[in-house]
Amino acid sequence: MTSDNGLMTALRAPLTTLALRQAVFCVAGVISAAAILTVPAIVAALGILILWATGGMSDQPPPAVAPIFLVLFPLTIALLVVLAAPIGRAMGAVHRRLAERLLGVHVEAPPPRSSKRISALVSDGPGWRAVGYGLLKVPLAIPEGYGAFCYVFGLVNLSYPVWWPLFRNHPDGTRLGPVWALTPFGFIGARTFAGAFLIAGAGLAMLLVAPWLMRAGTRLDLAAMRRLLGPRRLAERVRELQVSRARAIDDAATMMRRLERDLHDGAQIRLATLAMNLGMATEKLGVDGPPPDLGQARELVALAHRGAKDALGDLRDLVRGIHPPVLDNGLGDALATLATSSAIPVAVNVDLADRPAPAIETIAYFCASELLANAAKHGRPTRIRLGVVRTGERLTLTVEDDGTGGANPDGPGLSGLARRIAVVDGRMRVHSPAGGPTRVEIKLPTHA
Amino acid sequence: MRVVIAEDAAMMREGLVRLLTDRGFEVCAAVADADALRSAIAAATPDVAIIDIRMPPTHTDEGLRAAIDIRRDHPDVGVLVFSQYVETRYATRLLADRPTGVGYLLKDRVADVAEFVDALTRVASGGTALDPEVVGHLIRAGHHTARMASLTPRERDVLSLMAEGRSNAGIAAALTITPGVVEKHVANIFTKLDLPSSDSDNRRVLAVLRHIAG
Repeated sequence: MTSDNGLMTALRAPLTTLALRQAVFCVAGVISAAAILTVPAIVAALGILILWATGGMSDQPPPAVAPIFLVLFPLTIALLVVLAAPIGRAMGAVHRRLAERLLGVHVEAPPPRSSKRISALVSDGPGWRAVGYGLLKVPLAIPEGYGAFCYVFGLVNLSYPVWWPLFRNHPDGTRLGPVWALTPFGFIGARTFAGAFLIAGAGLAMLLVAPWLMRAGTRLDLAAMRRLLGPRRLAERVRELQVSRARAIDDAATMMRRLERDLHDGAQIRLATLAMNLGMATEKLGVDGPPPDLGQARELVALAHRGAKDALGDLRDLVRGIHPPVLDNGLGDALATLATSSAIPVAVNVDLADRPAPAIETIAYFCASELLANAAKHGRPTRIRLGVVRTGERLTLTVEDDGTGGANPDGPGLSGLARRIAVVDGRMRVHSPAGGPTRVEIKLPTHA
Repeated sequence: MRVVIAEDAAMMREGLVRLLTDRGFEVCAAVADADALRSAIAAATPDVAIIDIRMPPTHTDEGLRAAIDIRRDHPDVGVLVFSQYVETRYATRLLADRPTGVGYLLKDRVADVAEFVDALTRVASGGTALDPEVVGHLIRAGHHTARMASLTPRERDVLSLMAEGRSNAGIAAALTITPGVVEKHVANIFTKLDLPSSDSDNRRVLAVLRHIAG
């Protein structure tokens, strides 16, 4: 089934509009690479032209040549330096637009130049990075050009049998030269109709290979674009921070909502029921004199008593969920306590010379708590190892189990965890091959 | 008196069934969500329904919406909405068309069994029972009017109790004053707020609520 689908995809790939758009993009890439290559050629030609015009090429150089050359050469270089960044920006804009129109890939524009002064032209980081892209475009155009060539000539070669009978209908015995066709491995010639089919076969092969070549070329090109034509690192960082801040706000709101829900459906309803039972008991006991219904009153008081204990239990769980009090004694104590409440034996090893920031301790604790719960729930392990090590300014939390493995880092649990630790620039690594063992490593800064 | 209960917390639901059965009510149905409530009302046509605002599936205001539907489709069924928190908007939505046979109480009020049963009976017989919290919110919301500001503190107490849906006797008992004094206060309030005076408790509550809920 899957291989059938794969085959169909491969056969259909050259016929999609995407392939056509990629081909246009690749051809445009080759053209711009050629244009970029001509720049140094133009400079060299200009130099020679100047030398020639000033008589520098003649055998007896007039005395004026050397000074003129000495002035013009640095001027040209200076002009190149000043114009490179703006030209780079313009060329970058063209390529970004090409990628957007043809490939549907949006590459963010870099921030505009800070000022119009010449110094800003020269120190324009994004402009120079765009120049870097221009230089990189030359090697990038090679796979793109190759792919586009295979695509176009694949189509051409494939059409040979169609028009062959129209032109090769000479009477028998006519001596004709071979018809040539271009392939990646040079020219092949055909003298017969069967030969035309050989060319068509080669064309088909080229056409089938072309989309993959073009895809590889455009993918490399797009990666270079994102690095060199997109916004600067700082801007990316700002965006990353915006995203993580939005997540932090969402998480906080979700947590408040969950808290409200837990209180509403838990302790609050228990206390209301308890009050109701006590109210009924009060009635059963009467205002004064002997109680009219002592038996029911007792039963109701017992019910209320149990309700009060349940409400206390609910509140205790809730409080621990907000902030485990034992965390005030440090991560070591808190994790040891956490380990004792696990159904699966947990070996805890915490090696911390001094305490990280409270927020980091809290995050580490809840990560450990969730990872232990995850391990126990999915992996069916017989033992879990929980470790915390500090190296420099980073804290590494490791949870290893000998369960069945196959933990999915993109699943809701682990991805939620990764999102929460991203708020403090934490990183998570999950190694969980099918069959186990599972090892999850979380790195956090010691201070947020 | 026939009652239907809609409350998703099993503990509370069972407690209510026990309380009401004990007090001689007939509990026709005790359900856990709004859909079951609607069919129970259609099947049993009770005198009154006790409805929790927050119920599955969304745990927001399905109880309130069901209550409004029931008031429209079954005008004879009293509706006592029951919640753990008070929202002025919910109260105004509930009272929107006619403030009769309707109640809005905090769940805490079940602790005073006699008062709760009294409120439920009032709602079942076409009266009104608004939680003091609800009334407080409504009055604070309408407090800015000059007329309201002209009331004395005692008159404001009487107004609140009237808005809760209590009779003159009930107000007198709550404030430990004689019914005659209550009548005097009521007359003053109606004059100051420029409301049409009325003998019937229901019409009186209606006038007061119209005024404060604006």
